[in-house]
Amino acid sequence: MTYEQVNSKVVRVPVTQSRPVLARRGSMLGYSGQVSFRPVAGQGQGVRSMVGAALAGESTAMMVTEGDGSVLYGFRGLYTTVVQLTGDSMVVEADRLLVHDAHLQTSIEMVGQGGVRQMARGAVTGQGLFTTRVSGQGTVVLLSHGGTFPIQLNGDTVGVDPQAYVAHTGALQVELKQSLGMRDLIGRGSGEAFQLHVSGHGVVHVQASEEKF
Amino acid sequence: MIDGLGTASYDAQSLPADDNVNPYAFSIALAGEWFVSKGAMIAYYGNVDFAGVSQYASRASWVAARFSSPMYADEWVVASGQGKVVVADRGHDVNSYDLEDGNLTIKQANLLGFAPTLELKQSIVPGFVTLIGTGKFLASSNGPVIFVEPPFRADPEALLGWSDCPSPSQHYDHHWMAQSFMAGVQGMLGRESGEERQYDFTGAGTILLQSSEKLVVDAALLRTVESHTNLLDAQSAGALGQRLIARSQQGGR
Repeated sequence: MTYEQVNSKVVRVPVTQSRPVLARRGSMLGYSGQVSFRPVAGQGQGVRSMVGAALAGESTAMMVTEGDGSVLYGFRGLYTTVVQLTGDSMVVEADRLLVHDAHLQTSIEMVGQGGVRQMARGAVTGQGLFTTRVSGQGTVVLLSHGGTFPIQLNGDTVGVDPQAYVAHTGALQVELKQSLGMRDLIGRGSGEAFQLHVSGHGVVHVQASEEKF
Repeated sequence: MIDGLGTASYDAQSLPADDNVNPYAFSIALAGEWFVSKGAMIAYYGNVDFAGVSQYASRASWVAARFSSPMYADEWVVASGQGKVVVADRGHDVNSYDLEDGNLTIKQANLLGFAPTLELKQSIVPGFVTLIGTGKFLASSNGPVIFVEPPFRADPEALLGWSDCPSPSQHYDHHWMAQSFMAGVQGMLGRESGEERQYDFTGAGTILLQSSEKLVVDAALLRTVESHTNLLDAQSAGALGQRLIARSQQGGR
């Protein structure tokens, strides 16, 4: 079951009876074969996680694609990145998920630790403090502005603009750092008052744009 | 030549003739007339005159035979003269196509220009136009164009056009249909995956797809739909109006 990158903005996904996929609603471009689309509410399993997802603002309308055929997916001309998961997990914001194998597990979790103060900071940047964790064996397709590039981390730390951060895989810690100085307070800052500091072993996917969805 | 830019700078001679300047711009070698979509021209060399289609038609009677679409007459201009005209569309990929005694139907908003040897007609499918004959035309797409063959079902927003195959019919997802038979179509609001309706292609031909994009407001499409409401009686038209107001207040699509 391989996902084929048709061009930078479109992927072709084979679907069989035993291998349905989950995709963002409205992302189907076309298909051949006998395929149907069924809406599903929220991410994760059960009512509790659905409510949690709604509270966290971390729920994107998804749909199951079932049947036998091959389906083209793309979304609003955004770039797509195909990522293979081999038993490890990926942390990503829900609205950046275009399509993934339905047998992958998804759950909502909080980014970083630090309680209320950190939460307030998350709200300030407009960057969701809650993210989706996708784990298992399978394929995930991410959405981005202008494509993503991976940054490999081997125990070192990298600072990423919160708007440019897309996802990460592996054993990584993510911390939101604030470098607020006098200049920022009087409106003459560098525009980079907040940074995500990522450290550990793994891969960070960064997009070539600061545009949010 | 500016150092470090990595691209050549062009003059009137070195600018490509009837070829892409880069994936996002195309240079037409104009000797005579071309139909160009309003706003598509970004630059030109030479002695070129731009006039609205209806204005130009009063001078050249052949225009009426080539541009058989009153609905889009306001959105097209005729470029006439000698020179080079560069066209582009919002940074989308621009492709040129050569038709040989053929026909191709394309989304009106994506058609940027066509040679006057081709004939433009409105398609039965709203928002689409058909080109018939022999000649070159230009169309934009969000990302490279994807060519597929029938049998195929395409999302209306991703469909760019089709060639040689019969016009599509509408296909409704069978799960959604089964549920709507049980619940009644009116009760189905909020139970949509956004993918209930597709254009279904059969027969032989080629289908052109692009990555879907944010809907562009097409004034002509509004006029098409409005003209269809003439089929309704006064009471139904009023009911439709209320439903449309409710939808715009919900902020839905």
